[in-house]
Amino acid sequence: MKDNADASSDFTGTTRGAPVISLSALGKVIGGKAILSNISADVEPGTIVGLLGKNGAGKTSLIDVLLGFSPPSSGSSRVFGESSFELPAAAKGRIGFVPQQDELLDSLTGAQQLALNAALHPAWDEALIARLVREWEIPLDRRIQVFSGGERQKLATLLALGHEPDLLVLDEPASSLDPIARRRFLGELLAIAESPTRTVLFSTHIVSDLERIASKVWIIRDGRLAWAGDLDTLQESVVRVTLFARDDLPAELAIDGVVSQRRDGRRMQLVVTGWQEERQREVADRWGADVTVERLGLEEIFLELHA
Amino acid sequence: MDRNLQPPPPRIFTLEPASGVPIYRQLIDQVRRLVASGHLAPGAELPSVREVSAEYTVNPTTISKAYGLLELEGLVQRNRGKPMTIAPLRRNRQALTQRLRQIESQVDSLILAARQLDLQATDLTTLIEQKMSEEK
Repeated sequence: MKDNADASSDFTGTTRGAPVISLSALGKVIGGKAILSNISADVEPGTIVGLLGKNGAGKTSLIDVLLGFSPPSSGSSRVFGESSFELPAAAKGRIGFVPQQDELLDSLTGAQQLALNAALHPAWDEALIARLVREWEIPLDRRIQVFSGGERQKLATLLALGHEPDLLVLDEPASSLDPIARRRFLGELLAIAESPTRTVLFSTHIVSDLERIASKVWIIRDGRLAWAGDLDTLQESVVRVTLFARDDLPAELAIDGVVSQRRDGRRMQLVVTGWQEERQREVADRWGADVTVERLGLEEIFLELHA
Repeated sequence: MDRNLQPPPPRIFTLEPASGVPIYRQLIDQVRRLVASGHLAPGAELPSVREVSAEYTVNPTTISKAYGLLELEGLVQRNRGKPMTIAPLRRNRQALTQRLRQIESQVDSLILAARQLDLQATDLTTLIEQKMSEEK
């Protein structure tokens, strides 16, 4: 087993096996343009990873390479220890994927589409599907062409859940769901990751969903990982620091990890990464200032990292 | 699935995922406050990690982390096969972390041996629980 330094900080006592996903110096170039650069990250089983990024940041490209739809240009992408692009059928069978654009067949009814997918998988959990059809209120008797955007999304998600995948990958799920359906959907993702061997990775730009259910966050910016780690750690390390000094402050305060700063004479506001509580006193003493430290919601952190 | 059959636990916490304060911190602060105010008396049961996770739709890892830290602090106690409860007295608060620190190096060497034998943490805890309950 790989020695993982992260394991010691785990209070849950859950065991961690080999990584489900392992990306190493991954790069992707399309038409001479670098879409993904130098991405390295591992995902342990039993985690929910939220992949956050602006439109065009590379979220979908990363998922494409991860699932083996296209080869990496450099570095490697492995799923269940196998190279993504040469994934054996057995490994593919352990993955569930909900693409951004669903691949439902408009001419079928919901029930026909479900039956079609069930036939493709030897182990199809009928009871789970029946429960979710009921809870998610999917109109199985209607043709898919008359489904609403939300109904399509729910059905597409169901199709990825029926074979109880060990790795569930969702590209912008729940974007068409109303708040009630979204909450139920998130609850279902949590139930999946309750099993220590199952893993969920979802891309989103709905930050509030991610704040609820993700344990790990990957922030992707211009094809690079701007952050990969625990959501808790991210929230604790990025703060807004406000100084109110007796005298005018200099343009630079020599504080490590400044992401952005605004200065107005004796008042200065900075967003800092890697903040530690004990630094508040140091900063206050050094600059003769009242210092307040505020935590930022993930949405603000996201905006600041893109400022 | 059985979670649907259980009556929803009363909402004793207020968790706000978007507040910027990590959820485990919110939970720790609230348990401390509820204990300090007497709303949670010694012996009072805490909802399980699973219940809190399902009720508030938040990741269970962050709840486990909060409970784990509260336990280290001596504020709550784990009970085999039963819900966690508020600890009887707070006099052991300092003592528990100190006592745990004393055993840490032995645990480190145990973990090293376990890794070499490819044993998982759950295998070890099962064995430890078994041994410790035998000796009682």
